[in-house]
Amino acid sequence: MVKFYAADLDATFAALADPTRRAILARLASGECSVTELAEPFDMSLPAVSKHLRVLERAGLIARGRTAQWRPCRIDAGPLKRVAEWTEDFRRIWETRFDNLELYLQQLQAKEKTHGGKRRSK
Amino acid sequence: MVASGAANSETFKVTTPSDTEIHFTRLFSAPRHLVFEAMSKPEHIRRWWGNLGDGYSVPVCEVDLRVGGKWRFVNRHPKGDAEFYGVYKEINPPGRIVFTEIYAPFPDAESVVTATLTEENGKTRLNATSTYPSKMVRDMVLSTGMEKGAATSYDRLDELAMELAKRS
Repeated sequence: MVKFYAADLDATFAALADPTRRAILARLASGECSVTELAEPFDMSLPAVSKHLRVLERAGLIARGRTAQWRPCRIDAGPLKRVAEWTEDFRRIWETRFDNLELYLQQLQAKEKTHGGKRRSK
Repeated sequence: MVASGAANSETFKVTTPSDTEIHFTRLFSAPRHLVFEAMSKPEHIRRWWGNLGDGYSVPVCEVDLRVGGKWRFVNRHPKGDAEFYGVYKEINPPGRIVFTEIYAPFPDAESVVTATLTEENGKTRLNATSTYPSKMVRDMVLSTGMEKGAATSYDRLDELAMELAKRS
């Protein structure tokens, strides 16, 4: 099993906490593109976009080409996938933890009553 | 077992007493000793924990109910297994239990859960506080939607992450 540490988790979430960076990732999810292309919809300067890209790169959420002069950005789905799995696993546990326990307790008590009743009737 | 329309649902409240804590409270229509048993005996835990119906089960449910004893639950779901484990720190039936909890893929994100059960007008109130190693981890657990309608900055991230997980 791949282990993922809380420090990585913090870096991933700090990077994802910003709406512009999430929008950049959403754009990259449909394919790699250049910094110039990324800057267009955001009405931001290239240095500002580059700054966001550095944060995303440090968090391991994107990778940047080294060979081509335009250094295309592409998404690395690995950390996001692990975060998504965590989220899904936790949601399932939390969804069931309380209401399921309540329903189960009702079943337990109903069973106790039925058994108790039978014993008394003998 | 699919939990819908369970009694006392509306008594479930989530608050954040500090940057690294989540506090939960809920009433249960059952005596305190029964709630404690349902939360601490494997034959009961298997029946309700992480069980959303067909395709879900709890293949591993180990409970060594003594101070320093370990617990380990595995939730099998249609996409795989989710493992949680920890150690019991305090056990005082039927009123109080303290344990650590770790989600296996994130072994250093340990939380400490302090749960108390008190009697309240013939019902039992559970108060539980989970303490996380950082605000980030705490916020992430909050973002999983345990409290329906909880507004967090991670809502959209979650959608995005799910979308990506489906693709890869």
